[in-house]
Amino acid sequence: MATLSIKDVRKSYGSVQVLHGVDIELEDGGFLVLLGPSGCGKSTLLNMIAGLDDTSGGDILIGGRSVVDLAPKDRNIAMVFQSYALYPTMSVERNIGFGLEMRGVDADRRKRAVDDAARLLQISHLLDRRPANLSGGQRQRVAMGRAIVRDPELFLFDEPLSNLDAKLRVEMRTEIKRLHERLGTSIVYVTHDQIEAMTLATKVAVMKGGHIQQFADPRTIYERPANVFVASFIGSPAMNFLPGRLVSDANGVRFAASGVSVALQAGKQPVDSERPVILGIRPEELKVAGRDEASVTGVIDVVEPTGPETMVTVQVGDQSIIARLPPRFAGRRNEPISLAVDPASVNLFDPGSEQRIDI
Amino acid sequence: MIESKRRRRVIANIATYFVLATLSMFCIGPMIWMFLTSLKYEADIVTQTMQYIPRRVTFDNYVAIWTQSGFPRLIANSLVVTFLTVTICVATGTLAAYAFSRFAFRGRTQLMLGYLVVRMFPAVMMIIPLYVVMRGVGLVDSRFGLALAYTSFLLPLFVWMLKGFFDSAPKELESAARIDGSTRLGAMVRIVMPLARNGLVASSVFIAIAAWNEFLFALMLTTGQGSRTWPVGLQLMVGEFQLPWGVLAAGGILSILPVIVLFAIVQRTMVQGLTAGAIKG
Repeated sequence: MATLSIKDVRKSYGSVQVLHGVDIELEDGGFLVLLGPSGCGKSTLLNMIAGLDDTSGGDILIGGRSVVDLAPKDRNIAMVFQSYALYPTMSVERNIGFGLEMRGVDADRRKRAVDDAARLLQISHLLDRRPANLSGGQRQRVAMGRAIVRDPELFLFDEPLSNLDAKLRVEMRTEIKRLHERLGTSIVYVTHDQIEAMTLATKVAVMKGGHIQQFADPRTIYERPANVFVASFIGSPAMNFLPGRLVSDANGVRFAASGVSVALQAGKQPVDSERPVILGIRPEELKVAGRDEASVTGVIDVVEPTGPETMVTVQVGDQSIIARLPPRFAGRRNEPISLAVDPASVNLFDPGSEQRIDI
Repeated sequence: MIESKRRRRVIANIATYFVLATLSMFCIGPMIWMFLTSLKYEADIVTQTMQYIPRRVTFDNYVAIWTQSGFPRLIANSLVVTFLTVTICVATGTLAAYAFSRFAFRGRTQLMLGYLVVRMFPAVMMIIPLYVVMRGVGLVDSRFGLALAYTSFLLPLFVWMLKGFFDSAPKELESAARIDGSTRLGAMVRIVMPLARNGLVASSVFIAIAAWNEFLFALMLTTGQGSRTWPVGLQLMVGEFQLPWGVLAAGGILSILPVIVLFAIVQRTMVQGLTAGAIKG
């Protein structure tokens, strides 16, 4: 167990800079998820924490100790790779015990440690097999066994679930969460899957183009995204964005656009009336409006029942938004619809900078 | 319609087999002929009418070449030179191929290309300068010198072949090993080498056979019995006025034996190695 500090870490290949001064602090026993689209630099950052890639600047501390000049083997970390990277020529037992073998742990203690890890991951019956004779889920478990057997200060996971089918992915996600709660070891986890980020993390760093867009706990990221990119990247279906303007009058502050009028909870400072803004509403924050509470009015375009809920695409002015409505929603295409929205749940963004605005 | 399709297929099959059989005869025929000749008496070899299958079988030719010429010495020299060549290539080539495969360093592409360019020039072009160099350092007429000369044109081939095998070993495996406590060299020896084993065997056999059969360099760089290899020795047995066909054939058969034995042992590994990556494993 250890804290992780990443201080102004930069990386460039030649003249191309792929990471621009990244700062992250992870508490002892925390679960950090690096989240972002392909090419955002998350895997590069993970490789630099592991020591597989050199940093071009800045410092990385594990447990308060600077590791940038240490070889991967001296950083006391363990890593689970996307491809699992099991040694194909060795049995499962030797695969799991390889790290201990390299560190000169004697055969008896090694055997005991491997058995413990195997029992924890329910792969004791597979110890004699070769990786080629295992299923995807079993390989995943072996890869995790290899990581936990060494009892490192920090676990690194590089998109560990992306090669599994959907059902197994959910299962292994739960397994990883359980493992983290049981072992209490700090984890850095790279993924482009926002559900994994939301379910697993204690801290999420959303990255894009080598910059950290927002670094916060999952709830904050979801409810109070720092900018339009974070807001659109997290959540499925994505957040609805409606361009419009702020109106300040005797009744208070509201957001206005064609077919939309949402009362806002304003703070103390004066609001710049007529200021153009983008309103962000999560699909699940929209409800069918009762009498006198309609904020958004439009025409139903598509109705998609999914079972537990109904996704309704609504044409509002020249914009299209999605509402997550109850399963027995009865509306039909081309019918008018009025939706209500909780003022506390909406987000405002500046159209120019796309940054969050708090009023 | 169906009938004619089938007929066409049968004809195509026959044609295919005909071509294959002809080519096989062309390749294997001389060897069979050499083997048959080695079993004949001298009088039965040069005859008015061709004798395909020997009427009388004798092993005198084998006894003659083994006892009356320096043939055992030639074979021993060839073995030593081949062994040295393979050892030098494996020791240096493996490290070079790994470096080419894994590290991005200045001049990497140019070096790789240089290795390839060396192979493009005919060996004859290299012989004279190589002879001068070898004489300068006193390695003419030595088995080590000959092995070095072979290395000069076999090492590039070995490195290129092996680099391909190293490239196909996933990099993440080494990353995992390095995190697990290996050094880079340790990860290469423990993880990558076992994976590239088939490729290593295939490449080694390839250069071993090339070194074993080499003639031109051996002719130029050896002058005495001490370092002469079998291809040269065999050629020198062809006199101006006499051609001991039977003995030469026996020598030829004896000299391809090691290659056949070697190939039989590593055949499976080698074929696996050479076809690796051709289909998904």
